Amino acid sequence: MKLKKLMAAFLVVAMGASTLMGCGLKNNDPNTETTGSTGQGTETTSGGTDAKAFDGVTLTMLKDADSADTGLNAVLALAKEKLGITVEVENRVGGAEGDTIVKTRLASGDMSDLCLYNSGSLLAAIHPADYFIDISGEDFISRLDDTYKKTVTVDGITYGIPFSSSQAGAILYNKTIYQELGLSVPKTWDELIANCEAIKGAGKTALIGTFGDSWTSQLIFLGDNYNILAQDPSFATNFEAGTIKYATSPAGLRSFEKLAQLLPYYNGDYLAATYDDGTDMLANAEGAMWPMLTQALSNIYELYPDKIDDIGVFAIPGDDAANSGLTVWMPGSIYGNKNASNVEAVKAFMEFYVSDEALNAYAGAVLPDGPYCIKGYQLPENSYKAVKEDMQAYFDAGKTNVALEFLTPVKGANCPSICQAVGSGQMTAEEGAKAYDEDCRVQALQLGLNWK
Amino acid sequence: MNKNKIYSMWFLIPSIVIFSIFFLIPLVSSLFYSLTVWDFKNFTFVGLDNFKQYFSQKSLYGSIKNTLIYAFLTSGSKVVLAFIIAVLLTSKIKTKDFLRSIVFFPNLVSSLAVGVTFAALMHPTKGLFNLVLEGIGLGRIDWLGNPNLALYSVILTDVWKGVGIATVIYIAGIQCIDKGYYEAADIDGANGWQRLKCITIPLVRPAMNSIIILSLIGGLRSFDLIWSMTGGGPGFATDVMASVVYKQYAAGYYGLSTAGNVIMLVLIAAIAYPLQRYLLSKEEQ
Repeated sequence: MKLKKLMAAFLVVAMGASTLMGCGLKNNDPNTETTGSTGQGTETTSGGTDAKAFDGVTLTMLKDADSADTGLNAVLALAKEKLGITVEVENRVGGAEGDTIVKTRLASGDMSDLCLYNSGSLLAAIHPADYFIDISGEDFISRLDDTYKKTVTVDGITYGIPFSSSQAGAILYNKTIYQELGLSVPKTWDELIANCEAIKGAGKTALIGTFGDSWTSQLIFLGDNYNILAQDPSFATNFEAGTIKYATSPAGLRSFEKLAQLLPYYNGDYLAATYDDGTDMLANAEGAMWPMLTQALSNIYELYPDKIDDIGVFAIPGDDAANSGLTVWMPGSIYGNKNASNVEAVKAFMEFYVSDEALNAYAGAVLPDGPYCIKGYQLPENSYKAVKEDMQAYFDAGKTNVALEFLTPVKGANCPSICQAVGSGQMTAEEGAKAYDEDCRVQALQLGLNWK
Repeated sequence: MNKNKIYSMWFLIPSIVIFSIFFLIPLVSSLFYSLTVWDFKNFTFVGLDNFKQYFSQKSLYGSIKNTLIYAFLTSGSKVVLAFIIAVLLTSKIKTKDFLRSIVFFPNLVSSLAVGVTFAALMHPTKGLFNLVLEGIGLGRIDWLGNPNLALYSVILTDVWKGVGIATVIYIAGIQCIDKGYYEAADIDGANGWQRLKCITIPLVRPAMNSIIILSLIGGLRSFDLIWSMTGGGPGFATDVMASVVYKQYAAGYYGLSTAGNVIMLVLIAAIAYPLQRYLLSKEEQ
């Protein structure tokens, strides 16, 4: 009896303690770091002429840990100095788990003052009107690039500002291998396959596959969007209306065929290799080409700064050399929480974030993976060759378009798995296209689109 | 102290309240939301569309098949393997206590840690398994990359991890058997196999039934190990019900994923309940 009482008392204490610990942990979350203190030292040099409008205001920001924070930290330090706003950054995981965190925190009213989240289809899917500040009427909106602005505008209302530079979904290649084998950048899909054959024939890995991170398997498919739209400019509108399908449109099906056709050229462990493995392999010339987002350039630059100029970029080729171009990804965006404690400070911070001085601070800390989404803001002189020369050429020629997820909110959730299955030969291109159409139908149903 | 004291029904209130709030209300509301398209704020009633979705889409009913394969194979292997180990560990061998700890050890490690470790061990080029296989002259096996093999590689890991707890239950069951039976059998001149077949197996039945039920239900709702090892891939090769539900939830299809949960609940109940009735009736005979 006595033992039982003791046991009960012990359990009560243990439960209480663990609850308290749970609360305590929230405050001491190791991921929550206060940034901005670095700016304090320079405060005197700025002269302190104009009074800081928001001195002592603290805002919170939720961002995914995958987005590089070197540039952000530079801007936050400057914001502390110029505006007096301190921003506390809280990191969350990226990917699907991260989406769940954002959605749950929005729904439960627990969102931070500033939220970093995707632009395009994913933004539309979380009902921004319910949660985010409408910035359509603000002056600084006129600075935003028009293509970008469309991706943060839902039902005519603009919500976000670009977190970083844009980037492209393309093929990164190692120039040393190309030079060694005397190859030139492929202008058509057939030339790409010929290059693959030549590199494979020379006993090297032609293509780097990093399907261990399943999202990377989508690049050939998603990055082919320029070519789809070049053949059928109304594809995006008709796709959202449900009148055109990947499986039945020749241009759409071609994207899946391209993905399936690359199977013989991957590295031996392409199903297990990860994104990080891919950056190592490409930089060290263990593979010649890697279908990837150009954000990988920054990762390569961090790890192998002396090899960054060996890396070039070309768009996923179409069948017609004259009619192919680059598919561009818009950056994630910063959104303001409607229920923030200090909405004016949030808006002031957003305005500051897209100002020239903030952009300079950002570009001074981290080099861009593509052009910025701010009108008239030029690439820095010391940008990676792959961005300054290879990518800029597509922009100068006007041969760019955005990925489909920035044109329509419909994007099937199983896209990574389907691309993995097609890319590894478990599904044919036709089966993959059909499965993706079905997957998109599920999403359209969720979005309330009337698809048959 | 007072034997005639009749407890008031009011004593049931706390448990009924807790049970309703945490079990009954969520169950009923999930049944309702499984018939809707739901985004936390608004819902549209769509009837049985979500369920139709499950049975019409190949990747979804494929996951039901994988779940069944996974549950029955892991459960079956654990029942057989754990029995052999338990018999060994209850015999008169030295270092018995040490071996028992070893067998139980994998159970102490979290599934996620086991998953990450085994995914590394099964890496096609850098993993220890393949380095050993190549070292002794056998070729590489693409454990998690081969879509026909990936599910079985995960099953192997699950059995490695779960066999310890089954062994412990068996050991407890075997030690409960009265020594008198074995003595009588010795006097009658029974050999080892006869003792095992006629005494140990029939009398360890209750323990075996617990293991079957526990491991089968565990297998049907398994998620963490699969997610950390393959993420349901390559393609959809190792997708089980729980991982599909998870992916749909992450994609924001709350109604559809709730429907998946309802199917899982029905599936588990439809398999586990009759099985338990059957096993118990056998036990009573």
